[in-house]
Amino acid sequence: MALVTKQILDTPIQHHFSPYSDNGGTTVAVAGPDYAIIASDTRLSAGYSIYTREQSKLFTLSETTVLGSSGCWCDILSLTRIIEARMQMYLHEHNKVMSTTSLAKMISIMMYGKRFFPYYTSTIIAGLDPEGKGCVYSYDPIGHTERANFRAGGSSGALLQALLDNQLGFKNQENVDKTPVSLEKAITVVKDAFTAAAERDIYTGDGVHLCAITKDGIKEFNFELRKD
Amino acid sequence: MSIMTYNGGSIVAMTGKNCVAIACDKRFGIQGTALADNFQRIFQVGPHMFVGLPGLGTDTQTVYQKIRFRQNLYELKENRKMSPKVLLSMISNMLYERRFGPYFVEPMVVGLDPETAQPIVGNMDLIGCVNIPSDFVVGGPSSDQLYGMCETLWEPNLEPDDLFETIAQALVNACERNAVSGWGAVVHIIEQDKVTVRHVKTRMD
Amino acid sequence: MFSDYSAPPMWQNGPALGKYYDFPNVSTNKISHNSTNGKQRYHTPLTTGTSVIGLVFNGGVILAADTAGYYGSMMRFNDCPRIFQVNKYTILGAGNDYADIQYLNDIIKQKILDDDLHNDGIALKPKSLHSWLTRVLYNRRSQFDPLWINAFVAGMQNGEPFLGTVDKLGTAYEDKILSFGFGTHISVPYLRQEREKNPNMTKEEAIACIKTCMDMLYVRDARSGAKYNIGVISNEGSEVQGPFESVGHWNIATHGTPGQE
Repeated sequence: MALVTKQILDTPIQHHFSPYSDNGGTTVAVAGPDYAIIASDTRLSAGYSIYTREQSKLFTLSETTVLGSSGCWCDILSLTRIIEARMQMYLHEHNKVMSTTSLAKMISIMMYGKRFFPYYTSTIIAGLDPEGKGCVYSYDPIGHTERANFRAGGSSGALLQALLDNQLGFKNQENVDKTPVSLEKAITVVKDAFTAAAERDIYTGDGVHLCAITKDGIKEFNFELRKD
Repeated sequence: MSIMTYNGGSIVAMTGKNCVAIACDKRFGIQGTALADNFQRIFQVGPHMFVGLPGLGTDTQTVYQKIRFRQNLYELKENRKMSPKVLLSMISNMLYERRFGPYFVEPMVVGLDPETAQPIVGNMDLIGCVNIPSDFVVGGPSSDQLYGMCETLWEPNLEPDDLFETIAQALVNACERNAVSGWGAVVHIIEQDKVTVRHVKTRMD
Repeated sequence: MFSDYSAPPMWQNGPALGKYYDFPNVSTNKISHNSTNGKQRYHTPLTTGTSVIGLVFNGGVILAADTAGYYGSMMRFNDCPRIFQVNKYTILGAGNDYADIQYLNDIIKQKILDDDLHNDGIALKPKSLHSWLTRVLYNRRSQFDPLWINAFVAGMQNGEPFLGTVDKLGTAYEDKILSFGFGTHISVPYLRQEREKNPNMTKEEAIACIKTCMDMLYVRDARSGAKYNIGVISNEGSEVQGPFESVGHWNIATHGTPGQE
């Protein structure tokens, strides 16, 4: 008992302040031969409170690149603003818009730059690479990055990645045509994925904001999700 | 990692048209180290009834023995087969007796009702809170992945062959995205006139 | 995704559900709680203001907050207005630590003064103020010295109503209905219902809705006060009205006995 009392007295009383919050949200991205799509849900929440039902987590960075991010919303806002600022600096210095591949590297370096006070985000970018092929890059909070054909991130990442492996990567399927799916088919799979996530994950719902990136530009779509 | 995922092993069960299915991976390990590829987590407890016990390996085996003990007493005393719903509430009662020092298993029961042949799947948490949905139940360390798979692949009134394909795809793809599940899988399809057991090959990493 | 709900330890000397198992006699790098290096800068709110609610109507925005200043559970101050007119385009509302609200309001007042001194007709617009607040609050949270504030910006920009909020971390978003504190639980469901019934609310209808909310909050929120201000902004300009006073439901004091209200 005395030991316990001493321990309590020795410890300075800390009223805990956490600089992070988990605002939920899910992002899914798919890269095709000549297109890329990226989608996020539109629910912004904290614990059992829904802040707003119409906050897209997609950021259009250029004509060929869209970023999607979920996690700590204040970090996402800061990260994307600095990315946008550095893209402006790149434009002014080199007189050309930053390519998706260059951006991918820059974001990784920026995130690792805050290795010991990370941006608490699950980030994915989708776009067209300099050859016009679709590409998707995903990040962990401290800047580990990997190019992939499809990725799910955020609060429903675990629910959806296995599904994408199966439906878009044709994993564990025999006697099927394994050519990459069309843009229309990819959009259908992403829609189904979000419907499934909204069923089981309370941090995902309300709506989906989807961007389809092709050489003709970025097309936006909105879908409804369950709101409970 | 929690005690519930210490040994790995995920189970999923689904209803179909006049049939039910339950499937499980075969891995047994200690955290990251895989030790066996033939661990049994699904047990037949009646002509049309199976119980799945995802969780801590030692408790899987202990709880199975205790279920058999109580079920035998019931069937001797009543002189009739136990129905899936009765089995669920029996296990639930048994687990709640250990409310403050529980067995680390989340039991799952599938079967056809002995009287009506109605397909039933049900599960409960480790202290016996029962859930009997009309579609599917999942358990074990890959439950997140299984929820994503089942929520999209499952549809009502699947015929036995389609139910097998659905549950096998759900389990195998879910386990591939989970470090402590996999190493082979087994699927049981329960119909009124037969029970089919199929062993499914998976990645072994 | 479900691992946040950790139960108390049920396994003797074992881990709680959802936690890692620590093997006995293996030293782990636990962070010492007794380290004396580093300055403890962060604090908790002292004198606090409770709910703020905001509502967009057809052609404008309303903000409302009561004027009570609480010191823990003690109602210490009666006149702590929390709705401020920034300029003709913009109104600011804030909740939580009142000292931090005053500090921030002083800085904003100085910004307004600087704007006026330029005499170029350019004034701080709501989206700019909202954006500026996200940076100030995010910077302070990044220094582990947060301004314990939930700020609300209401205004008109390019003829469109604007309503946005920023919390102490810099979490910022916009919506047609916003709130802080008890208002989230009491007022938002009511306001959403009213807006669904009547999406093109007039100013008068919106003010009536907000007044109903403030009356409900006075009854249900233990840390609320009777007096409150309303900030209204539309294309005709901005003004802070009040203080108004909620009467409350005093028949509760007589257990609702008829004839004794």
